[in-house]
Amino acid sequence: MAGLFDRFAPLMAQRDMMLGDGGINPFQVKMDQVLSQTEAMIGGRHTILVGTNNYLGLTFAPEALQAAHDALEACGTGTTGSRVANGTYYGHKELEATLCDFFGKEHAMVFSTGFLANLGVLSTLMGPDDYILMDADCHASIYDGVRGSSAEIIRFKHNDAADLDKRLARLAKKPGNKLIVIEGIYSMLGDKAPLAEIVAVKKKYENVYLLSDEAHSVGVLGKYGRGLPEEVGCEDDVDFIVGTFSKSVGTVGGFLVGNHPDFETLRLVTRAYIFTASLPPSVVASATVNLGLVKNGGALRKRLMRNAKHLYDGLTALGLKVASENSPVVAVIAPDPVVALAFWRGLIEAGVYVNLALPPATPYGYSLLRASLCAAHTEEQLDNVIAIFAEVAAKVGLIEPVKKIARRSAAG
Amino acid sequence: MTAAPGAEPSPDTLTALFDILKTFNKTGAVLTPGTRFSEDLNFDSLVVMEFVAVVEDRFDISVPLNILPDIATVNHLALAVDRIVAENS
Repeated sequence: MAGLFDRFAPLMAQRDMMLGDGGINPFQVKMDQVLSQTEAMIGGRHTILVGTNNYLGLTFAPEALQAAHDALEACGTGTTGSRVANGTYYGHKELEATLCDFFGKEHAMVFSTGFLANLGVLSTLMGPDDYILMDADCHASIYDGVRGSSAEIIRFKHNDAADLDKRLARLAKKPGNKLIVIEGIYSMLGDKAPLAEIVAVKKKYENVYLLSDEAHSVGVLGKYGRGLPEEVGCEDDVDFIVGTFSKSVGTVGGFLVGNHPDFETLRLVTRAYIFTASLPPSVVASATVNLGLVKNGGALRKRLMRNAKHLYDGLTALGLKVASENSPVVAVIAPDPVVALAFWRGLIEAGVYVNLALPPATPYGYSLLRASLCAAHTEEQLDNVIAIFAEVAAKVGLIEPVKKIARRSAAG
Repeated sequence: MTAAPGAEPSPDTLTALFDILKTFNKTGAVLTPGTRFSEDLNFDSLVVMEFVAVVEDRFDISVPLNILPDIATVNHLALAVDRIVAENS
């Protein structure tokens, strides 16, 4: 009889080989004290956080903190119920109205996390005779969502509108509905979808819908932070937008917005919406307030992109390979997992936190030191981060030692 | 979805799959219709995806993700490819 966890043995052996040496485990980092949006105490060290997806730095927005406090006092610590039972408070409806207003859409549904929004929507929207065409680099929540769907699931090559076109052409004679699933900004490498091209392909065929996961692009792209569709100017061509409150919006929760006249049907049939407890009122209140700050956050977006450019320029000048330019995600590509781990440990020991991302969670089998910027990062912090990257990259043999990059005095 | 027991794939399909598999065969396993992707070739989820993409290009088809769990051997895949090609024509 096989043991319960036997099938994970090769993976665990691999992890033990890499991580079993007593060094810091990159997947078990503990923040002992949160100092600000950009700093925390980790392992007794004052650490600059460059891997939080807190793009606009709204986690400590005073207006949102106050609203959360008020909601906590007024409604308690939790709803203890599902949205379809006792878990819909006035705040949840106000948040959905705020989302409709924010995106200029007729309908909005709030889920307890972004993962649940994808899981619920993608497993429910398409039926047995339908087709889902998803970008190959889509997030795990999209993969898990489509796995629960009775539709036929087809992947197209990452960001390849011509490949999507070819696959839609093969289905042109099939009567079912087709749903294209993409992301505005892909999380690991920070690259954007070629949305205008994808919309052009979509328009060539009948019964084709487009869903975009704007988790990493809401708040980041577009004059009013509505994500890639706003930036590209094709919001009417994107039928559904999935998103999260856990990145630019600075709290937690997920949502779906759209204009389909039968949208509200989803509230009765989406299991990940029905069979889980709703968000606590304090979270709902902070999301509602922060959406307003995101909408009017032009100055924050400018700072975010200036910071992203600063880090990108600094790291590429060192000779490091960075995946995407003009992106709030600055992912340094390491040659293999062992070098990536040594690099990551060197950074954390010098007071810089980034995400370590290893295959199979990454595209192309890349090993990544994934930084994500925040509007609240100061130039001084980023200069320190670049200087520390230079030291550590030389130490792990990725670049020649840099003669002298002055490291500014304090970490903050 | 599952072919009738004893169904034979087209020899051309098998030959083409063996040809593609040469570049993916890191274990040096002898390639036969019964070769298993997971056990004999050590394919992990990433390699499966890369391999399927090449197969799709070669035959100009889309292989739905839904059928992948039922495909354990080269023979299974060849039967699935034949079926999808027939449906498309």
